[in-house]
Amino acid sequence: MSLGVGIGWRPEIAGFVKELPGLRFTEVIAESVHEGHPPADLLALRDRGVQVVPHGVKLSLGGAEPVAAERVAHLAWCAESLNAPLVSEHVAFVRAGGVEAGHLLPVPRTRASLDALTANIRRTQAELPVPLAVEPIAALFDWPDAEYEEGDFLTELVERTGALLLLDIANVYANARNRGEDPAALLDRLPLERVAYCHVAGGDEHGGRYHDTHTAPVPDDVLALVKELCARQRPPGFLLERDGRYPPAAELRAELDAIASAAAMESIT
Amino acid sequence: MNEEEPANAELAAAQEALVRAMTAGGPLPPGFDEAGVQVAARAILRKRAGEVARAWPALAASYGRDWPETFARWAAERPTNGSIRDAWDFARAHKESLDRNAALELALTETRFHYDGESPPRPRRMAVRRVPGGVAFQLNGRARVIGRR
Repeated sequence: MSLGVGIGWRPEIAGFVKELPGLRFTEVIAESVHEGHPPADLLALRDRGVQVVPHGVKLSLGGAEPVAAERVAHLAWCAESLNAPLVSEHVAFVRAGGVEAGHLLPVPRTRASLDALTANIRRTQAELPVPLAVEPIAALFDWPDAEYEEGDFLTELVERTGALLLLDIANVYANARNRGEDPAALLDRLPLERVAYCHVAGGDEHGGRYHDTHTAPVPDDVLALVKELCARQRPPGFLLERDGRYPPAAELRAELDAIASAAAMESIT
Repeated sequence: MNEEEPANAELAAAQEALVRAMTAGGPLPPGFDEAGVQVAARAILRKRAGEVARAWPALAASYGRDWPETFARWAAERPTNGSIRDAWDFARAHKESLDRNAALELALTETRFHYDGESPPRPRRMAVRRVPGGVAFQLNGRARVIGRR
């Protein structure tokens, strides 16, 4: 399956997304789609043959507790009604003991954590009509007492579950920068043939750390990493994530073109 | 079942301790980089402030540039129940000092939904509320302000 370059669908930029002449691929935050009234603009994209991937952010696949059946059912509903080729979620947890974290938190890289993730991914896969891709997150800290390197942890997870990977190039960059590591080194340790698509985004520096905020232009270093990845194995698609401080259309088009150029894919603008 | 396994119970407790440390003023479990966890907790508060600003724009606007900091101070030890309830709880806690537009935003929301502060808000069929400069009236989801100058 080839997806090409895409951009995350958000209500604030629905008009811009709709006008992209070459768009074949977009993504929508699954929790933002209401079953009673899915956005008409999104349905129009679906009807025009654009591949729409529901992207969950609150399932908590990495939680020790089993995933909530109604959240899995909503993802399945999104996949059915948007005619999605796949669904994506995160290698993260967002709540524990009934307390909401408010964002994606890293999981410990331990055997117990791998077991919990595996169980939750299998529970989710059992209800979904399409494949599931899981996305490693940008973490501003790590758990102590890791039993695995990140690459080995993710490799074992996809081997156990058969899940695909959603590789966020900006997260790979952010984690490596914050840990003082080489971002390309992680690419060498991941099963790149299992990457369903990639995220690309910009962030900013706060409190001495790089935050993947999706509110800034994609940095050159991230585009360079897109090239590095494609030199190893070109994934089916790259999706630009923008969540706030939306720039003028010309700037968004330039960003999409820069991604297409770095990935040697067709421009969609 | 999985939940009965000791390793999983331990993981559940460790995850809950971390979430409480980041959102509810709990102690940080041993072994974590305190500065890193703190930066992540601050980033979550900034994100929550931004989500509230999108859900209740008048509320955020009434604090101008101080909004993210003001919200973060109030929310630092209050875990989220979603941006609507973050906004609503904050607005009620600051009811006396809201400006006219923020007070109107709160009053209009209260005419449309019932919220006891504990469980998710429910739509009201009908309600009347005093708002700055008039009365807000809501019937079957349609809200109107009467007599506002």
